[in-house]
Amino acid sequence: MARMVADSSALILLAKCSLLEIVCDLFEVIVPKTVTVEVASEDLIRNYPDAALISDLTSRGAIKVKRPGSAGFTTPISLHQGEQDALLLSIKLKRALLATDDGKAIKAARFLKVLFIITPKIVVELFRLQKISFKKARDSLEKLGKIGRYSPEIIADALVSLMEEKDGKADNHKNT
Amino acid sequence: MAKPTTIRIPEDLLKEIDQFVQESKLDRSAYLREVLKKGFSADKQDRLLTKYTRGELSQMEVCRELKWNPWDFLAQLKARNLYLNVALEDWIDAAEL
Repeated sequence: MARMVADSSALILLAKCSLLEIVCDLFEVIVPKTVTVEVASEDLIRNYPDAALISDLTSRGAIKVKRPGSAGFTTPISLHQGEQDALLLSIKLKRALLATDDGKAIKAARFLKVLFIITPKIVVELFRLQKISFKKARDSLEKLGKIGRYSPEIIADALVSLMEEKDGKADNHKNT
Repeated sequence: MAKPTTIRIPEDLLKEIDQFVQESKLDRSAYLREVLKKGFSADKQDRLLTKYTRGELSQMEVCRELKWNPWDFLAQLKARNLYLNVALEDWIDAAEL
């Protein structure tokens, strides 16, 4: 099972798209302790249903919580503790894929040569891997635009990729 | 405890404030304190979100500075018609599963 380290921004968007449970079934999702405090503190759980979902997944072990330990180096770009811990954890776990929807965290990941993925890409990939339907993928991308505040350019590009994947699958069926 | 400070403001603006305070039967000092607090809060939010959209601050750094929780962050972007600070090249370069 592939490993994925998620920060707060990715957990929130995956939860808002109703994809967090699917991702937890398919991947070993790991978060630093600081991230669980940021998104699923007792106060947040009471007020945000998705925070309660994250807390539930964490307590069931579907989301694993790990402490990154000391860095041994300084990140070139300043980040909030949770974002920095997620990056560090990703490096310590033999460069596990970092799921983030934050531009500054991505900059730091690029600098440290950590592979990253953003939620629209996760959606398209889940469809490519036949883990979600085309409708679910399209609905999720639309949510990422409306609720998730992804730029229209990225959502348009993601929808094109999704259509290409769909057409590719259709062509494969025709050829077989 | 409130501390005194001195600022210079344009005469026209001061006249307008004084007139409004008088007409509205407000306490001048209390009103100016309230306006300063509101204005500072709005300006701080605008400036930090501008830094966020430029990629100079992360989502959680903004939340910490403005005492927002991350679940409200997206609604705050929506209210200002702003987008996440993820660039098109980030989408293009993102890894596959």
